[in-house]
Amino acid sequence: MSNIKGFCCNYTLSVDLDALKKEGLVPEGLEIERLPCTGRLEVPELLDAFTEGADAVFVVGCQVDKCHNLSGSYRASKRVKYAKKILEELDMDPGRVEMFFADRGETEPVVEAARVMSERASN
Amino acid sequence: MIIAERKPMKELLSMVSGVKRLLIVGCRGCVAVCSAGGDKEVAILAAALRLGVKRAGGDIDIQQDTLIRQCDPEYIDPLNEKASGFDAVLSMACGVGVNFVADRCPGVNVLPALNTTFYGANLSSGEWKEMCAGCGACVLHLTGGLCPVARCAKSLSNGPCGGSQGGRCEINPDVACIWQQIYDKMSSMNRKEELRQIMPIRDWATAGHGGPRRRIREDLLP
Repeated sequence: MSNIKGFCCNYTLSVDLDALKKEGLVPEGLEIERLPCTGRLEVPELLDAFTEGADAVFVVGCQVDKCHNLSGSYRASKRVKYAKKILEELDMDPGRVEMFFADRGETEPVVEAARVMSERASN
Repeated sequence: MIIAERKPMKELLSMVSGVKRLLIVGCRGCVAVCSAGGDKEVAILAAALRLGVKRAGGDIDIQQDTLIRQCDPEYIDPLNEKASGFDAVLSMACGVGVNFVADRCPGVNVLPALNTTFYGANLSSGEWKEMCAGCGACVLHLTGGLCPVARCAKSLSNGPCGGSQGGRCEINPDVACIWQQIYDKMSSMNRKEELRQIMPIRDWATAGHGGPRRRIREDLLP
């Protein structure tokens, strides 16, 4: 079982993670950390997730032009981009960290992100 | 400001191989402004090294600190105490900071985390360009404020050379010919006739060719 770590903002994940696991919609090894805004996320937190055992890490933020905090998800996407560069330098697959965008309150993109990353982690 | 960039992770990992306790020390001067060695970059490097060392099967204790500057004694002297118990200090300052720590902290094994690249300006977020070579004999009053030493590939005093084509430098079409720009700037200020004056041969002694440079201002000495 792969360990997947997700970071979501309050607006992109309104459903309880345990409920999603119970329905079998997301992998068992998924852990999600909710943030007030993904713009709060910094590169070290993405890298630390790998150090702490994650096989893949993803971030789900608001659509770039609809971020509740205007540019939070855009900033998060830039940090994910830099984290990818560092993974590459460490001979890790940069695809193991990814940014996803979702409409407010929609659970489907989070479920899809978890599925995509679970697949990448098992490759 | 002084522009620098982080060394590749592989080089850094090799540098700290065998180190069990590492202190990463950033600088809030130029390298913080050019996003190479400030608080944020210290935190990123610490996380990246922890991950890299762990992947290599090693174990490392990394602590972080950022000094106001690493080019003034009052900020770096406390490192003599702070660094005790650490196998190495990885400085995220420019080369000046690393040298100064090495000079003033004899018991500290200081390592460079950055490559110091040039004196430059910030063109836009994430983009810096060389503007000054620190040659010690400024001629900008003769060239419309544009530096032929730093910005001409040949540092020509009386350009342009034959490699200037369509305002671009022969070394790379993305590089503007600074002598073309000097001509255009001087023309726009009705000063182009001044360019007929041949600049004398430069004395490069002031550019460091006479050994390490030093500046003294008597009125400020203790």
